[in-house]
Amino acid sequence: MRIFTCERQYEAMMTCIYDAWSYALSAGHENVRLMPEPVYQPSLFEEYVHIDADEEKVKKVTRSIQSKIGMDAYIHIYYACLSKEDTLDDIYRFLRVGFRMGKPVMQALSVPEVLRMMEIRRNVGNEAHYFREFARFHSIDNQVYVCHLEPKNDVITLVAEHFADRMPSEYFMIIDDNRSYAVIHDLKDTEAYHKLSIRQLEPAELQKLKQTEEYPDAYRGLWKTFFDTIGIEQRRNPKCQRNLMPIRMRKHTVEFMDE
Amino acid sequence: MFEIAGGFDIQEKLHILADAAKYDVACTSSGVKRKGQEGMLGNAESCGICHSFASDGRCISLLKILMTNHCIYDCKYCVNRVSNDVPRATFTPEEICELTVEFYKRNYIEGLFLSSGVLKDPTYTMEKMCETLSLLRTKYAFNGYIHVKTIPGASDELLAAAGFLADRISVNLELPTAEGLKKLAPNKSFQTILKPMERVSATIAESRQAIGKSGYMERSRGNAYLPGSIFEKNRMRLAQQERYSQGNSSLWEYAHSTAVPAIVSERGQIREFAPAGQSTQMIIGATDENDYTLLQTTQRLYQTYDLKRVFYSAYIPINEDQALPGLDTPVPLLREHRLYQADWLLRFYGFQADELLSETRPNFNVQLDPKCDWALRHLGEFPVEVRTASYDVLLRVPGIGPKSAGRIVNARRYGSISFEHLKKMGVVLKRAHYFITCGGKMMYRTPIEEQYITRQLTGVNTRENWQIQHQQEDHRQMSLFDDFGIAR
Repeated sequence: MRIFTCERQYEAMMTCIYDAWSYALSAGHENVRLMPEPVYQPSLFEEYVHIDADEEKVKKVTRSIQSKIGMDAYIHIYYACLSKEDTLDDIYRFLRVGFRMGKPVMQALSVPEVLRMMEIRRNVGNEAHYFREFARFHSIDNQVYVCHLEPKNDVITLVAEHFADRMPSEYFMIIDDNRSYAVIHDLKDTEAYHKLSIRQLEPAELQKLKQTEEYPDAYRGLWKTFFDTIGIEQRRNPKCQRNLMPIRMRKHTVEFMDE
Repeated sequence: MFEIAGGFDIQEKLHILADAAKYDVACTSSGVKRKGQEGMLGNAESCGICHSFASDGRCISLLKILMTNHCIYDCKYCVNRVSNDVPRATFTPEEICELTVEFYKRNYIEGLFLSSGVLKDPTYTMEKMCETLSLLRTKYAFNGYIHVKTIPGASDELLAAAGFLADRISVNLELPTAEGLKKLAPNKSFQTILKPMERVSATIAESRQAIGKSGYMERSRGNAYLPGSIFEKNRMRLAQQERYSQGNSSLWEYAHSTAVPAIVSERGQIREFAPAGQSTQMIIGATDENDYTLLQTTQRLYQTYDLKRVFYSAYIPINEDQALPGLDTPVPLLREHRLYQADWLLRFYGFQADELLSETRPNFNVQLDPKCDWALRHLGEFPVEVRTASYDVLLRVPGIGPKSAGRIVNARRYGSISFEHLKKMGVVLKRAHYFITCGGKMMYRTPIEEQYITRQLTGVNTRENWQIQHQQEDHRQMSLFDDFGIAR
């Protein structure tokens, strides 16, 4: 058995799939496995091959997914690449079914590989939606808006795309505190897709940016007033509130920050 | 009317006017999809986005405020009635715009929900509201969601202007019968409520046709496959015949006269009139009509006025009055819940009001949800074979919803389905397994017997019902440190 490993990142994962597939054509798909790095517990009897991203191969894989299985499948796979779980092998197994069945594969939920992909996409998509709802921007003198998130899946690019459409004329920045990188919406960067760019943050930069949550802003107080007023005491229902807005989502939301 | 302690600052005003608005229920931002635009602020998602959840578990999607809580009317149930002694305040249009835009940029809200008490007279109030919306759309270049409540009795021009500026427009029906309204809202009449509702509905239809859409609002896609749905074209037409026989009541003639710049887009098109449709709300439990009346009224509103939503608001006793239930009346939360369940059955599942309730059974079963209740009364139609049953039959099985029904119909074309698959597709088997077979077999040995299944399902439902009725109490495990004051 040969095991292909790569970084957890779309380009690397697609290249890994390409190389694994071309090896499998001679060795058989059963004798191939894919695994994202780091590999904590290598087995003695397997052969590990590390794969680096290759632009040409990424294009080929992406193109064939889009043309042979369709755009919806491509989104499935893209979301799966952002997942916190080890989804690389699941993607590979899904593609095997997908290339055989073509477009209808998306509806064949009685196939376990397809059902698994649906679950992954639902998980990632739901989290992205949660943060579209519960992301809070902190205004720095009405010049720049900064938002801190700590998502489980790597979803801040998805979230940022939504806000780029929503606030096309504002400078803003969404920071993933755990993965320490930021998506920046820079109005001067007109070349970029939706004016968005990704930037890795140094520890010192991240520390500095964390202070934005304490930056004085009158509207934070107003929002708290509104939030505390709008609930009806006779209908108090903390359990329902917790179901709809889980505690872990509240960490960076203004209305719950002091509690 | 005086502002005795005038000169509230913005924080106090927000407190007063949000507090006065909190009993309004419709806080949705759904029904319209609009892309963002360079130089403007905001977009709209058709699914709607909730931005927070208040302590009562209701979503906060829009900045829900009143423009003013001064009111010349004396509706018995309302906290802002003229005879109540409460602090009164009024927002200026600029204050509302600032709040909306700044909150929006921080992603606290999805848009504005603007309602108001009646200041001086309906037309003056509505004029002020339209001024606010117009300012928000033009000077503040706000492109997000706006839901506006109309003031019954305001002029047609203002109604038209409000509709062109907002995404959703609503007229509150307040109470489902004319007698109830007369008793509790002496200054309003059914005529002043239904007339604007009719005009708005006609204008929405005309505005939609003008841009090449169907005159009817979009409904959940599944409705196209439901032969008995209340939104079936023939039924809608039948219900609307009366309306059209009274002549054209559209406000379209005002489209050009009220065309402030924000209404006309770059290409010179006129903004659609209330693209997210029209809604209304009813108070339940303040007067003594039964659920059957409420549900029939709901269905008639959907069919006649093509409303997008009808909201129910469980009556919360805040005022003391002979005509009202006493102050210690419990809030009818479970009843409200049952009505919403039934409302969903009408809009997504192809049920008719008459199927769920009747003259002889005018109220919902407290123990069981309306769908289980219906299924138990029609056991002859069950069990359903999931591998062959059609979409509309599947939808009527308790525990199967539009999503899982759609998945089943698609998936079974490519392979056979088992109970395991059903579970993963999102079917609630603890309810569904009494009513379905898969490959000719039921999941467990189940006698198809009303008594038995009722007993089983009541067991499933009891816990949920208890939670709805006792949601006030926040039970948790006792803690030695917090509860007995022992320092940690």
